[in-house]
Amino acid sequence: MKHDGGGLILIVDDERPITRALSAALSARAYRPEAVATGREALHAAATSDPAAVILDLGLPDIDGLDVLRRLREWSDVPVIVLTAEGAEDRMIQALDDGADDYVTKPFSTPELLARLRVALRHQRSRAEDAAGPGSMPVFTVGDVVVDMPHHTVHVDGRRLDLTPKEFAFLALLARHGGKVLTHRMILQSVWGPEYGTESEYLRVYASQLRKKLAEDPARPRLITEPGVGYRLIDRDTPTM
Amino acid sequence: MVTPKPHPRRRPLGLLAGLALVGLCTALLLPGRASFTVATPALVLVAPGLVAGLLGGRLAGVTTAAVAAVVLDLVFVEPYGTLGVHLVDDVVALVAFGAIALTVATLVAMAADGRRAAEQKAREVTALSRERERIRSEQDRLASENLALEQAEDARRALLRSVSHDLRTPLAAIRAITSDLRDGATYDDDTRRDLLDVVGDEAERLDRLVANLLSLSRIEAGALVPELQAVDLDELLSDRVRRLSRLLREVRVATRLPEHVPLVDADYVLVDQAVTNLLENATRHTPLGSTITIEAHERGDMIEVAVSDHGPGVPPHERDSIFEPFRTGSPSNGVWSSGIGLAICRAIVEAHGGSISAGDAPGGGARFAFTLPVHRSRPRVMS
Repeated sequence: MKHDGGGLILIVDDERPITRALSAALSARAYRPEAVATGREALHAAATSDPAAVILDLGLPDIDGLDVLRRLREWSDVPVIVLTAEGAEDRMIQALDDGADDYVTKPFSTPELLARLRVALRHQRSRAEDAAGPGSMPVFTVGDVVVDMPHHTVHVDGRRLDLTPKEFAFLALLARHGGKVLTHRMILQSVWGPEYGTESEYLRVYASQLRKKLAEDPARPRLITEPGVGYRLIDRDTPTM
Repeated sequence: MVTPKPHPRRRPLGLLAGLALVGLCTALLLPGRASFTVATPALVLVAPGLVAGLLGGRLAGVTTAAVAAVVLDLVFVEPYGTLGVHLVDDVVALVAFGAIALTVATLVAMAADGRRAAEQKAREVTALSRERERIRSEQDRLASENLALEQAEDARRALLRSVSHDLRTPLAAIRAITSDLRDGATYDDDTRRDLLDVVGDEAERLDRLVANLLSLSRIEAGALVPELQAVDLDELLSDRVRRLSRLLREVRVATRLPEHVPLVDADYVLVDQAVTNLLENATRHTPLGSTITIEAHERGDMIEVAVSDHGPGVPPHERDSIFEPFRTGSPSNGVWSSGIGLAICRAIVEAHGGSISAGDAPGGGARFAFTLPVHRSRPRVMS
């Protein structure tokens, strides 16, 4: 990552004070903000302005924010950070299941939102690089974590990890969606099978094993717990707060 | 079926009455027993069995009839003082008497029992239906009490949701900006001023919300009593528009008042709050740059004040419910906005003896109109 800004950021919120605050903060960091107040305008702008990322409030006056997200996901993988009111956790988890990259609860701190925006943009770029890499090998890189799907290996900083099949599947899933918050349900159904969904205590056990094997520094973790929501793997050079 | 039984205490009472009557009849007839045939006492002595049957039931009646037969034989059939009978006629008379007295006593007792049973049944039916009526009304009362409690609970939940949304939205903007500034973001002067404006505006919004919450608590406590004085609406409206200039800076406001608006009898602070809520509501719904119109008209002994916007308007089926607490024009997708402002407007206007309504603005949009009584220099004579 060279600099903060550059891309066009679409802000979707019907509360003008919020869009004004965010627009100012984004402009000051050399992003180009574009603010809209309705779901209809959001879908139109996402199609015509080619934003680098979308900040989407789930409470919109015309279309449900979740529907905006689902319709957007039919044709675009642009990073989406959803804004939700405190107390609407179920909608926020639904948004993550429906393809949102990250979430922030209102009232939020602007530096935190910007940090999450940076993570989303960077991982979007690195996913694009993985896809465009030599021969488009199915290798996922998240910072110093390299997951080689065909060889079923994980290297951290050049050191090869010895993982059980479930640990590998868990880590590979997080790496494939680098930077993205994956909900408990998504991880359980993808790693354990479709009949799972509520056994989040499994994940706690595997996450703690993985942390040991990754030799995590608690001050700069790669495997992040989103309490009550899920997990994500980030490039640990990215400041998160 | 209810078994027709006389009351246990009535049985001996009936028997006693029957026996007493036997004695009485005997005593009355005894002096003249030589002058009439046995038919007379026989006829008279049917009566005690009848009375006993009527009062004491079958057993009392039959017993009395049997005693009467023995007394008849002993006292009125020769030879007197014995159970013996001399004449064939007397035998026939005694047998006939016995049969008749027993039958009469039995029939009367049965009829009386039947009537008593019917009466008792009727009483029971009445009592039952009264009880059922009572239970039903009790059920109705509990159901309506339950409904009221549920509604109060719903209202409380809606209030919490609406207030927390209304409090959180300005707070979110303030927190977003202050956290950003604390982080050391550098802004040019214009942006800086703009952000400070947002913080200031949102603080004002919180202030208005708190004023509404205080009024709401006064309304709920029944303590919303207007302190009436002669209020100049022209002055109130223009002052309010001036004070809301920040809120109204992205719309145009046209105030159209007649040359001389009569004074109204009103509580300045309360009416000011109602006008503030209507203007804030209009600002929220009207497009940027459009015109909000404030008018006043004299309507008989009331003045009508109307605030019109060019927003989406209020659909006809919501024009009453929109004034109920915690209803909003569009609670879409879990978004709850200011559910109490219009409810407070209505409470204030009605406390003044006026009324408030929502309608169509000319050219599209919502028009909220309320009335206040014209000030009379002398107290009006109540008829």
